[in-house]
Amino acid sequence: MAPTIVVVNRRRRAVTADADTPLLWVLRDELGLTGTKYGCGVGICGACTVLEDGRAVRSCQVPLSEAAGKSFTTIEGLSSDGSHRCQKAWIEEDVAQCGYCQAGMILSACALLEEKPEPSDADIDEVMDRQVCRCGSYARIRKAIHRAARAARAAR
Amino acid sequence: MQTRRDFLRASAVAGGALVVGVGLDGRVFAAADKARVFGPNVWVRIEPSGKTFLTIGKQEMGQGVRTSLAMILAEELDADWTQVNLVQASPGPEFKDLGTGGSWSVGGSWKKLRLAGAAAREMLVAAAAARWGVAADGCRTENGTVVNGARKLRYGELVAAAAKLPVPATPKLKALADFRLVGARTKRLDGPRIVDGTARYGIDVKVPGLLYASIERPPAAGASAASVEDAAARAVAGVKGVVAFERGVAVVASGTWAALKGRNALKISWSSPSDRGFDSDEHWQKLESGVAEPGVVTRKVGAAPAAGGKVVSARYYYPFAAHAPVEPMNCVAQVKDGRCRIWVPTQAPNSVQRHVAEALGIAPEAVEVTPQLVGGGFGRRLNADYAVEAAQLARKLGAPAPVQVLWTRPDDMRHGHFQAASIHDMWGAVDGKRAVGWRHKKVSSPHNLSGPPTAEDLADPVAYWQDSSWGAYDVPYAFPSIETSYVRVDAPIPIGPWRAVFSPSSTFARESFVDELAHAAGADPLAFRLAHLDDQTVKIGSLNVDRRRLRRVLELVAEKAGWATPPPPGRFRGLACNVYDGETHVAYVVEVSVPPGRPPDQLPFIVHRVVCALDCGVIINPLGIEQQVDSGVVWGLSNMKGEITFKDGRAEQGTYKDFPVARMSEAPVVEVHLVPSHGEQPFGIGEPTVPPLAPAVANALFAATGRRLRRLPIRLSG
Repeated sequence: MAPTIVVVNRRRRAVTADADTPLLWVLRDELGLTGTKYGCGVGICGACTVLEDGRAVRSCQVPLSEAAGKSFTTIEGLSSDGSHRCQKAWIEEDVAQCGYCQAGMILSACALLEEKPEPSDADIDEVMDRQVCRCGSYARIRKAIHRAARAARAAR
Repeated sequence: MQTRRDFLRASAVAGGALVVGVGLDGRVFAAADKARVFGPNVWVRIEPSGKTFLTIGKQEMGQGVRTSLAMILAEELDADWTQVNLVQASPGPEFKDLGTGGSWSVGGSWKKLRLAGAAAREMLVAAAAARWGVAADGCRTENGTVVNGARKLRYGELVAAAAKLPVPATPKLKALADFRLVGARTKRLDGPRIVDGTARYGIDVKVPGLLYASIERPPAAGASAASVEDAAARAVAGVKGVVAFERGVAVVASGTWAALKGRNALKISWSSPSDRGFDSDEHWQKLESGVAEPGVVTRKVGAAPAAGGKVVSARYYYPFAAHAPVEPMNCVAQVKDGRCRIWVPTQAPNSVQRHVAEALGIAPEAVEVTPQLVGGGFGRRLNADYAVEAAQLARKLGAPAPVQVLWTRPDDMRHGHFQAASIHDMWGAVDGKRAVGWRHKKVSSPHNLSGPPTAEDLADPVAYWQDSSWGAYDVPYAFPSIETSYVRVDAPIPIGPWRAVFSPSSTFARESFVDELAHAAGADPLAFRLAHLDDQTVKIGSLNVDRRRLRRVLELVAEKAGWATPPPPGRFRGLACNVYDGETHVAYVVEVSVPPGRPPDQLPFIVHRVVCALDCGVIINPLGIEQQVDSGVVWGLSNMKGEITFKDGRAEQGTYKDFPVARMSEAPVVEVHLVPSHGEQPFGIGEPTVPPLAPAVANALFAATGRRLRRLPIRLSG
């Protein structure tokens, strides 16, 4: 089997796996990037969200054949030191409870802020309604997204 | 008799394994380390560098316990919080009670951890005092240093001397007024690792040679695999084998995807279970018939009220529910040389050790359990089933390689245990603005994870059924006539604890029906509740219910919510309160509106604002408490959406679509007001915030629509 080239966190990775293997399992089992989580496997919960060129995608719904040649960012690649404005906002608002869904939440928020730098509550609802947090950290996620937006504004 | 707490603490029964604490950073205390660290007890270790290791003996599943327990230790130790590292305890002779449930981690650890921290601090002070040649009581401590006048010694500089001193048996504890860390808003210590993806949950365990398995389990209890066609599964690249064993048919592979693909390619014909299988519609009929049974009276106060007055009766219906944590069940097990190693996200490490040992027929000491971060527990992970299953598979494989069993989302929703469905038959009488009679009959199924109640359990039937019906029998109001009862209708599916254990259904019925009585009496729901709360602390069963504290949270929530003033136009308020397990007192006021045209998958109402007043005794971490209120509110709303139903023995739901949970747009603004505590005991917070939420919303819906919500879940359209 010829390896498939995928760019993950700015590194070219040669992956040898079946073409139908979801990116989620490539990341977790082949590349050891366990920050991306499995929650449902059918694109309902959002725990496996990663960025593809800044856009949020469900890695459980992206087969390796479609991932080939594309560039993805996982939670491990968002910053080298936890300094991304969303990561900082998440800490400032002490968002996480069990924390399991939060990588997906943070990356979804990054994609939202990329598209809408100053999202309204309705914008946040629309995008974040696709993610499940069973601990119910939603109110703090909302605050953290607004905080990250403010941080970006202040930096401009 | 097995009480609820006994059940939750069943994990305490354990043998000894290695006493090895593993931090999330992978650090292991080997025996050699002990020589150069100061470790007066199993909870505190300080290195010469000043690095301070605090042992956490409860499981983190989002309730913030790794932070709050560390705060208690660090407070009495006067540790430098920036130097604190956490070590997660594993089952062994020194850690026999790592089980985490019933909102009892903080309350149950409080004294023990204070003493542990204080003993260490006293020894460090004694070492410093000796070095300076001064009296110990002339020294004080702050931030990891001992101070005497202008002199200072860091704890790290004292470890060698302190380690030689005797450990005081009765160290002096701080006065609560002197606390600096306990009571301060403190961010969770695991936060940075969560946001950079390095926090390791059970599912993330990677050990050398790891195999991956997915298991096709019998669709209904009692079924077994009659024939297995596995050629297609074996042909999947990466599949190493197909194994039929006690729990089903496992596909074992070199990666998760190959295991899942192989499993999908299996063709299994299952033998039929001996009966047709559990059907929840039929079960509901049995519950309905059960209402006519007298049941066991769990509490009786006063004589039946005389005729006259206004009589109200109603039935409340509460569904089966799954836990549905986002991290599905999973476990890594390895059986090698007569020993078993288990890596598992669990609430009950000791119970895992004991059950795995029993299943494999080896000594508990031969089972080494390494608990992992838990991606949502909610009572599901008190059950050791998924660890036993992984261990049985590992044994069956006969290979020394470790194997990870990962449950899919549908596996997780269908093959766990459930919150029992129940019917609550309510009856009340009012005379003027006072209640004169109250009856609450709960018809439901007892927990059965360790089998149905035994004769020994039922030796004291009142206590046993009280334990299954808290929220009902411990009705806190001073009604002159009370009769509560429990009617048992068994369900042949696994029934066990959920978030808030067995309380949510009873509290939903009770607090909704109190509202019905208030309405019948023409009284304001707040005034009606307050009128039935005197200043007594009453002993109800094994619980102490302090009506004065309940009054206080009600008065505070009413004040903060502006109960006395009308809500904003289009909004309606509802109120509910509860004393959780005789401990944490909670009151909610919610504001809802009922706009037309809600999306079909969302609740048909909007909860805009939730005001919470709460008394959980000594406040450890206000920030953590606020999070748990947010959490309980959202859980309570989810509780109004989802239901598990059964056909032919099989749960019909398997995803977050057919068992929906609340999402971002449904999460209200939550305001939390803590009642300054009195007394010197903290109580739990992870569960108490759940039970009163649904009835507060239901009462607000009545205010909005004039219709009583007596059946959960609310039927979502579409």
